[in-house]
Amino acid sequence: MSDFEHPASSLASDRPKVIVLSLASDFGCQVQLSNFPYLLESLSTIDLAYWQLVISADMPTDYDLAIIEGAVTTTKHLKLLKEVRKTAHTVIALGTCAAMGGIPALAGHGPSPEERLEDCARTVYGDYAARIAQNRIVPRPLTDVISVDYSIVGCPIDPEEFSSVLQYALLGVKERPEREPLCAQCKIIEAPCFYTVQKLAADDACQEENNKLSGLYRGSTDIPCLGLVTRTGCGALCISRGRPCTGCRGIAQDANLESARNFIREQGRSVEEFDRALAIYCSHSMNSAVLNDHSQVSG
Amino acid sequence: MIYKIIAKQAIEDLFKGLQENYDEVAGPRACGPAFVFDKLQHACELRLDYESTILPPTKYFLAPTERLMRFNRVTGESYDSEPVQTSRAIIGMHPCDINAVLLLDEIFLGDFIDPHYAAARKSTFIIGTSCMPTVGHICNAFGTDEIHRGFDLFLTDLDDRYLLSCRSVPALELVDKYLAASDPTAKDIDDFQERTKRFKDAFTFTPNMDQLPLLYGAKYNDEQLWKDVGDDCLCCGACAAVCPVCYCFDVCDKLDASGQTGLRYRSWDSCLKSEFAEVAHNHNFRPTRASRVRYRFYHKFVGNFSRQGKMLCVGCGRCMRACKVNITPARIIGALQQSQIDKEDATGDGIEKADDAE
Amino acid sequence: MSALTAKAYRELGANPYRPWPARITSITELTPKETLFELRLIDKNVRDAFEFTAGQFVELSIFGVGEAPISISSAPSKQGFIELCIRKTGSVTNAIHRMRCGDVVGLRGPFGRGFPFEKMMGHDVVLVAGGLGIAPLKSLINHIHDERHAFGKVTILLGARNPSEILFRQEFDMWRHRQDFDLIMTVDQPDSVWDGEVGLVTRLFTDLEIDPGNTYGAICGPPVMYPFVVEEMRKKDLNVDRIYVSIERRMKCGIGMCGHCAVGHQYTCIEGPVFSYWEALNLEEAL
Repeated sequence: MSDFEHPASSLASDRPKVIVLSLASDFGCQVQLSNFPYLLESLSTIDLAYWQLVISADMPTDYDLAIIEGAVTTTKHLKLLKEVRKTAHTVIALGTCAAMGGIPALAGHGPSPEERLEDCARTVYGDYAARIAQNRIVPRPLTDVISVDYSIVGCPIDPEEFSSVLQYALLGVKERPEREPLCAQCKIIEAPCFYTVQKLAADDACQEENNKLSGLYRGSTDIPCLGLVTRTGCGALCISRGRPCTGCRGIAQDANLESARNFIREQGRSVEEFDRALAIYCSHSMNSAVLNDHSQVSG
Repeated sequence: MIYKIIAKQAIEDLFKGLQENYDEVAGPRACGPAFVFDKLQHACELRLDYESTILPPTKYFLAPTERLMRFNRVTGESYDSEPVQTSRAIIGMHPCDINAVLLLDEIFLGDFIDPHYAAARKSTFIIGTSCMPTVGHICNAFGTDEIHRGFDLFLTDLDDRYLLSCRSVPALELVDKYLAASDPTAKDIDDFQERTKRFKDAFTFTPNMDQLPLLYGAKYNDEQLWKDVGDDCLCCGACAAVCPVCYCFDVCDKLDASGQTGLRYRSWDSCLKSEFAEVAHNHNFRPTRASRVRYRFYHKFVGNFSRQGKMLCVGCGRCMRACKVNITPARIIGALQQSQIDKEDATGDGIEKADDAE
Repeated sequence: MSALTAKAYRELGANPYRPWPARITSITELTPKETLFELRLIDKNVRDAFEFTAGQFVELSIFGVGEAPISISSAPSKQGFIELCIRKTGSVTNAIHRMRCGDVVGLRGPFGRGFPFEKMMGHDVVLVAGGLGIAPLKSLINHIHDERHAFGKVTILLGARNPSEILFRQEFDMWRHRQDFDLIMTVDQPDSVWDGEVGLVTRLFTDLEIDPGNTYGAICGPPVMYPFVVEEMRKKDLNVDRIYVSIERRMKCGIGMCGHCAVGHQYTCIEGPVFSYWEALNLEEAL
């Protein structure tokens, strides 16, 4: 996105016409929207013309703002998106699938995405693979298909963040996505670090301490925490609930993957396991050259 | 300063006194394998034997996020811009952390007064406590292992009793009203001196601070030195988050769901973030990790030293615990000194030095 | 000068984070990217207390969007109004470009240290601006204009990429014919009707006569410009401590606390944004 001319310089009317669409996803982010306590207040600022999950009417042909959830997985999606981009003044990618490919993109993870996709289809559908989802393409985020004005990441999204970004979009203000990894946020909520806890767990002398922790980190200490490299902004939600970070907000722009992998190695852990865990949400960016670019820019 | 002696179990009476006089009593308590400063309900939660905490108690003066004001976007009015402060007693601050507060005072109570910091300072009663250095504590290098001001009350642990140093009138009143205190005897003084000696001897490592600001300036453009550290840095900012004297902050606006009103708040920031020194047109004055790490320690060892006469590190060791890749003051100081030694060796005119840096 | 502002804030008992509402009283589009906004502080007491020196900046606040540091372009001698020359670059500067006369914005300040006007009085001055650098320098130029009798020779060198990017062009076009100012404009890429100089601003020094013992220099522009212009000035034997530059950093709080504008061991919002070239040479990362 250019820093000079923001596309959403101003939306056409005071209460712009908004549509909420879903591509390939579990609708979790749309459900999350309905969980937002200030949803009605938010709705008062827009004219909600279509919401796939809750409105049975047909999708209108004219609208200002499109909020799109889910990854692009079929040629039909491609066509729909081109149409939406032509019509909408502003497009918001809602959730990790839409913004970065997310879990659907795993079906194209690897050196040859097409082959991988067919493998996956055969594994899931067996002999029916040829007949089911014939229009399938390698799953990808919206940003690979059309230009997107705002992205809200998270699996699922944080409704508060949605509300802020929606207001930014209505005002035509550029968002300022977080660029740094999670670790600092864990310190701020004063959560003991998983890697420290794991070290203690491995040390017999600390068995007593370890027992005290059993209530805190319920046996999840053997999963590598991805907060070392994944984008902050969630308030370290999972960690505060005793779960390591699974990286649903994607790889941070400032992340230093190489150094993080060295650290993992020094911990006596497998880098492959770390990368595998990272790929759950971030396979699309790991496949593309984006990562290498990042490390150069920040290095 | 007035000195008194109390028995160890008198801490419970002290705690009771604090609870009766302050809205909140905060102190170190255990949290898993770590310790945190937190609001305490009972004296039994208080762990004065703590080594260090995840966040420093300076969080009570400069909060991780803080409302600066609320506003109405349409009318351009701002309101609720004045600080709301509950009275708080913090018990168990180590000398390094009290020194950190004194350093922050110079930033936030300088030419301009930060109203939020000032309000928090005014309504906080500080009780310090003595400590014993363990791994990573290098406060002796910065002279922050001792404290003579900045607290109301200070507890020095003399095994079975505490030596109280009372520095303020409220502290004296508290002692008079709630504690069975006696005057120190010659034995108490001896024990105090013995303890001080034990404390000084317990430091196993002291970085070589010789000519540090000058050396830093000389090595500022040593690309290899900074690249090595920059290559390691995860850019997470955990070090800045746990640092008691890292005070940088960011200011953001957040609109309410209605879009009419909103909140302007500040939150802790870190100079290790790529966004930190960016200006218009995405021009970045510190585009690389190496340049950002270099700046962070420059500010600590040279910047504030040149500007305010003091280094911005109290040697508390929190960043050493927080950093996953061992980027610590000791490492930076060691690397600077070592590169100087290497240079002298290479030119053959090295002078033998008693050097305890790595 | 920031110590003065700090004192004023203390005396007013004002919260330095709280912007004062100001109304947009006039909007003049200078180029497609830059616009001159004239603002008037709404509170009379604040308006009367608002004193600044050329080179100082304010924090412009658009609620819901944020704050941005902007140099003041009008002269301190202009009472009651403050002019800001703003380029569309980020969220705040784009947002104010969408506002209309009568709309309310927030202002904090003035902050920082400006040009040493009083020190410059009684001497010749050479003022050099490149691109948007004219925004802070305009304040100094206007102030010198208002106190013209107190200065010796006044030379103004303006550089821009092309004629359409020269800010305040109409105004300066008239100045070219004045006896009391030597104003020269130069562009890198002239158009067919351009009658000024062509080339970099440094070229204008060739025919320039400077009395080094009696001259002050002031430079504002993109950082890459500074070393070259300074070199030209030094060729004329002007000392680096008589040359002043204004540097750009991301001043967020404006009061020396947030840390964003640090340059070397100083804060641009307190010790800057105007530094003598000698000071700037002694600041890591400044140039």
